[in-house]
Amino acid sequence: MLVIRRRAGEGFLIGPDIEIEVLEVSPTRVKIGILAPGALPIIRKEVLLTRQENLAASRNAPPHTIAWLSQKLSSNSVAGYETPKLDVRRISGVS
Amino acid sequence: MPRLVSKYFGELDYSTEAAFQFPEGIPAFEDQTAFVFLDQPQTHPLVFMQSLGNPGVCFIALPALMADPAYRPDLSPEDLALLGLSPEPPPQAGSDILCLTLVTVSEQADPTVNLASPIVLNLRDRKGVQVIQPSAGYSVRHPLLAQEDLVPCS
Repeated sequence: MLVIRRRAGEGFLIGPDIEIEVLEVSPTRVKIGILAPGALPIIRKEVLLTRQENLAASRNAPPHTIAWLSQKLSSNSVAGYETPKLDVRRISGVS
Repeated sequence: MPRLVSKYFGELDYSTEAAFQFPEGIPAFEDQTAFVFLDQPQTHPLVFMQSLGNPGVCFIALPALMADPAYRPDLSPEDLALLGLSPEPPPQAGSDILCLTLVTVSEQADPTVNLASPIVLNLRDRKGVQVIQPSAGYSVRHPLLAQEDLVPCS
């Protein structure tokens, strides 16, 4: 990884038309300004990781894996913890 | 009573007040803004987060406290506003809010839970949001089961 030391007010360029400027530095965060062409997507890393994990979590889960996991979890369950009622009405069509 | 088509349980009847509104959807599923949560006896304690807009969109979730008994979500003022909650008095877990974590399962890998971005529900106003907390030190792929649970019995 390339490492550059910068102070508030200083910046650098990536390629000919992406400019990054450090606007403000505090003990726990930095404020960064980005100048880039409008078509270039800029996404916070934690949002990207959440996106990717949501896509992975939405994939089809095999029924035997669901059955195994629920059985495993009910035997390990946290003492005294009960899921609050989510109020989905009883269900027809499921035996 | 309206009927929904669910991904894992076929057709189900539900009451409209059982639905939770997600004003911004969740990342990668921004257009899915209403979900019901199915807690079935045969799959308890897993909870299925089923989209009302698309039968194919369903997540497997688990109360976060079952994945980590010390779990506390870090709710920003923006998250609280999206949920329609005020910071004072702080919302009570279990009565005002419920915090769920999404489970990723596959044939190839051990099950993991996303503790970095929990689903937080306002149980009173039926609103939900996926909270993205970059600095809380939680992983999007936290192992769900202890290693000894994964070793097949010989």
